[in-house]
Amino acid sequence: MSTITIALPSKGRMKDDASAIFERAGLPIVAVGNERSYRGRVEGHGDIEIAFLSASEIARELGAGTVDFGVTGEDLIREGLADADRKVEIAARLGFGHADVVVAVPEIWLDVDTMADLGDVAADFRSRHGRRLQIATKYWRLTQQHFSGSHGIQLYRIVESLGATEGAPAAGQADIIVDITSTGSTLKANHLKILSDGVILKSEACLVRARKAEHDGDVRITEIVEAVRKVL
Amino acid sequence: MPLINMPEFSSHLLDEFAARGTARIDTPVIQPAAPFLDMAGEDLRRRIFLTESETGESLCLRPEFTIPVCLRHISNATGTPRRYCYLGEVFRQRREGDNEFYQAGIEDLGETATANADARAVNDAMQILESLIPGRRLTVTLGDQAVFEAVVRALGLPGGWQKRLIQSFGNNAHLRHLLMTLASPQAVSGLSPELVELLGQDEAALIAHIDRTMQETGYSTNASRSPREIAARLKEKQSLAETRLDGSALVLLTEFLSLELPMSQAPAALAGFADAAGLAMGAALVTFEARAEAMADLGVDLDKVTYRAAFGRPLDYYTGLVFEVSRENAVLAGGGRFDRLLTLLGASEDIPAVGFSLWLDRIEQARAR
Repeated sequence: MSTITIALPSKGRMKDDASAIFERAGLPIVAVGNERSYRGRVEGHGDIEIAFLSASEIARELGAGTVDFGVTGEDLIREGLADADRKVEIAARLGFGHADVVVAVPEIWLDVDTMADLGDVAADFRSRHGRRLQIATKYWRLTQQHFSGSHGIQLYRIVESLGATEGAPAAGQADIIVDITSTGSTLKANHLKILSDGVILKSEACLVRARKAEHDGDVRITEIVEAVRKVL
Repeated sequence: MPLINMPEFSSHLLDEFAARGTARIDTPVIQPAAPFLDMAGEDLRRRIFLTESETGESLCLRPEFTIPVCLRHISNATGTPRRYCYLGEVFRQRREGDNEFYQAGIEDLGETATANADARAVNDAMQILESLIPGRRLTVTLGDQAVFEAVVRALGLPGGWQKRLIQSFGNNAHLRHLLMTLASPQAVSGLSPELVELLGQDEAALIAHIDRTMQETGYSTNASRSPREIAARLKEKQSLAETRLDGSALVLLTEFLSLELPMSQAPAALAGFADAAGLAMGAALVTFEARAEAMADLGVDLDKVTYRAAFGRPLDYYTGLVFEVSRENAVLAGGGRFDRLLTLLGASEDIPAVGFSLWLDRIEQARAR
């Protein structure tokens, strides 16, 4: 029988919370070799292998089908994979790692409260400022889907931002941002506000299954999903 | 694995272009990506092949010809009018069809007799396609951004609403959504009580308040939008929210958008619509009729061209005519007037422009059938 591979976050809160859930689910995870090893196994289940990966790599490996399950944020799944729902299935929402992907604009843009307002501002931006409205984000795909797909806003430019995105508007790198926030305190500290219809995705850590043909009829797959769901 | 060879009818096509007095222009396959993303929007990013130079400049494989031809025209500074033709490979990520394929077309830059230039573009596209696919039925659809804009302006809506509607022309789902919003009242949300009070005062107080807050929060230095701009739009937003399109205007707009009829009847139908609705559509109708006459003069059978009022492209550089020639639902040629594009790309003066491009892979398939 083939080995089932589960990819878990390799560090931080996400790693601890994910391990705790598997423990409760009767699938206690132990590292292979020393504590810092990136390979693990599940006690009493010789046919399950654990791969500790970075959260965004987990999304990619799930998309490629090189792992069977993964624990990662829904934001990384939806951003990292084209046609996510065709490639993977969200088997369980795990109740930790809550964070929203949001559209935030400078607080002082008193006239901008909705995406429709932002659409008006974007439409005029070039004629007023000689360039398109700029959005700092690392969420290219989610931004495009929300702006063009859901709100018919085409005229903007994405400025790639890999960190400290909230600082981009004040630093003049971009006009607004699309970023992840859990409490909103960093946004507030940087004088940004979330648009009233600016929540693109309410994300949390999920147990995600790669849609693979060989999973059909494999009882171990259903057992893992059921075991995790039961302890949530 | 597609083997990309020049379509076998390429030389015939180049003869057709030469017979029309156009000058062949070639452009590099590797182009700076910024002009395409600026003009067409970020959506294009997923559909083009992007790369980066060693120095970090964003580059792409040529996804179409119009922008490169215009850029080359601007840098050559050869003066207008000029009629260019091109034939070459373009690269796009497509769900259907190959990722690299050939396009050819004509760009007519700087011709100030715009009705004639429009008619010539439509006629050239039709004639060339008829010569490449003889004896097959082609569907020609024509729309006009300027006519839609004239209807919206004549309805007397506030400026902000006019802009919203005009912006969404060609995106029918979004346009319908806007019309629904216009039909029902809505309140301005997200305003604090003190802001509501400030709004009641004069604009100077509001501007001062915004300016002060910007200073205090350290946002001023790099602020793109000024206190004056924010204040002005806040006032505008208030008036927009209070606007409801009255029932009859909504009916008129919907009625206009549903117009679809042969070009031979379109000028009269539009004039009739404007009269019945009591709308002054002036210059847009004159241009529309002049174009129809010019097309007839060139020998275009106006019964075979369909005018569809809702047909447009939601890109802000299209200014008037848009058209498409298709066969069995495959678009073989698309064109239009883009008077705003050259100045957006950096031309120092207004250059009227019209053109069309031919999808050679689809034409090849249509010929094979």
